[in-house]
Amino acid sequence: MWSSEVTTMILKGVGETLYMSGVSTLVGYVLGLPLGILLAISDKEGIRPNAALYRVLDMICNVLRSIPFLILLILLIPVTRFIVGKSYGTTATIVPLVIAAAPFIARMVESSIKEVDYGVIEAAQSMGANNMTIIRKVLLVEARVSLITGATIAFGTILGYSAMAGVIGGGGLGDIAIRYGYYRYQSDIMIVTVILLVVLVQLFQIAGMKLAGVLDKRK
Amino acid sequence: MKGRAVTFEYEEGTGHTMSYMIEVQNLSKTFVTKDAAVEALKGINLQIETGDIYGIIGMSGAGKSTLVRCLNYLEEPSSGKVLIEGQELGALSGRELRKMRSSIGMIFQSFNLLMQRTVIDNICFPLQIQGVGKKEAREKARRLLATVGLSEKEKSYPAQLSGGQKQRVAIARALACDPKILLCDEATSALDPQTTASILELLRKINREMGITIVIITHQMSVVQEICSHVAIVENGELVENGSVEEIFTRPRSRAARQLIIEGKEPGEWSGASRQQPELHETKRIRIVFTSNSSFEPVIANMILQFGVPVNILKADTKDVGGTARGEMILGLPEERETQENIIGYLRERGLAVEEVTADVEQ
Repeated sequence: MWSSEVTTMILKGVGETLYMSGVSTLVGYVLGLPLGILLAISDKEGIRPNAALYRVLDMICNVLRSIPFLILLILLIPVTRFIVGKSYGTTATIVPLVIAAAPFIARMVESSIKEVDYGVIEAAQSMGANNMTIIRKVLLVEARVSLITGATIAFGTILGYSAMAGVIGGGGLGDIAIRYGYYRYQSDIMIVTVILLVVLVQLFQIAGMKLAGVLDKRK
Repeated sequence: MKGRAVTFEYEEGTGHTMSYMIEVQNLSKTFVTKDAAVEALKGINLQIETGDIYGIIGMSGAGKSTLVRCLNYLEEPSSGKVLIEGQELGALSGRELRKMRSSIGMIFQSFNLLMQRTVIDNICFPLQIQGVGKKEAREKARRLLATVGLSEKEKSYPAQLSGGQKQRVAIARALACDPKILLCDEATSALDPQTTASILELLRKINREMGITIVIITHQMSVVQEICSHVAIVENGELVENGSVEEIFTRPRSRAARQLIIEGKEPGEWSGASRQQPELHETKRIRIVFTSNSSFEPVIANMILQFGVPVNILKADTKDVGGTARGEMILGLPEERETQENIIGYLRERGLAVEEVTADVEQ
């Protein structure tokens, strides 16, 4: 039963999982990073408080984050069809993954940026720095360790979400685990895919933490 | 006394019309929180001249940190004006204000260095903000690093430095854009006495050699005595007394100043307006300050010989005030009123500053 076809399928699954999670994390940051920065600076303790903006962004994040991913996957089918051209397949899965990940990423970015000591921001202001300079040269640089740790967590979470991609024919390791292990009672295939998922998350976690450690000059 | 305009006549020129380096006019700041409005500063008036080392002393919560933040508009006053070389900060646009800030250096109690950048990059940072080229910025940063005596730490990160070294880097950073003014917000409060002395020495050097006007916020009288030329005392958001350090040390007027100087209490120990009656003194206490010319004659000995009455020396001390040694003595005088007056008269004749300790001058 453990044929070369199964091996090929699993390898393809690994590729699909990495593709979905990787691209989703990347696009998730394209949206989530600015959103998180806006949340952090528009908060009342931020460098450019704006209560109205903060409330709107805050609500968007909360609403999107409270929808279970499985439901979001189905709800977003028309949107996905509009963006990707079809509503099924690996690439189509990226749309709901990004929509689910962006607010989550934004929250992590927000909290990372809020960790930056206000005194350092004040020092930059006293030098005549404008807000853009403060964001680029102070906030993002001083928060980089926390941001990288956050990205590692985000990637792991998105990888977990991607396991549900099978619902819309997205493929990937999670899909294989459910189809073979659950529907066909081939638990050996399921175990192998689950082990592979664990190894993948572990690898990225270790790499992320290593990078964060190298970049941390605080100790 | 509220909002009292404190004007002081400086020895070197009164009634002149030139603009001050820093002038604060009737400045108030109120912080509005959800359920209360806190008046952090009330009607402050202050003039700081070019080349001054101006101390602002008060206990924590007195509003002095807010005051110094108003001087570069990190904190916007609720009312009143701040003028830097005659330019009103409140009238500037955002861009103009940022330009102005680049000519006002600032250092902090917690140093506030960028922890993820090397020492040299920290010093280059303000230059980078001003758009100075990388090579030029590095050269300048190296010169400044040499000025503060840390050339060998160029590539270190702030976390690898001691507190005193961090403050030196912060000073170098604050000097990068050739400021006219250096604001120091409790810059030595986190440092041990020895390091404090070396940082103050550095500030004095900067003041002398670069002609930079320095404003020092502190809660330590020793810092004021050590390097300040002038001092303002802030209590509960009000400026209660200001003038030259020498003047205030010799003749403190306000209750806060008297507690600070005569009783040697740091601002944290000041008692409130409704202070308890001092323990009953049968004798009158006076404080004498010896200036440089008065230390040749054995005044106290002569006085005792002249009046033939004993006096009780309760305290005698020498302090370094603004670079000159000042003798300070507190005497308990005999009960008889006439003798007391004669003694005070005798001392005043000899050019000594005499103050009664038991009664407040103001109030």
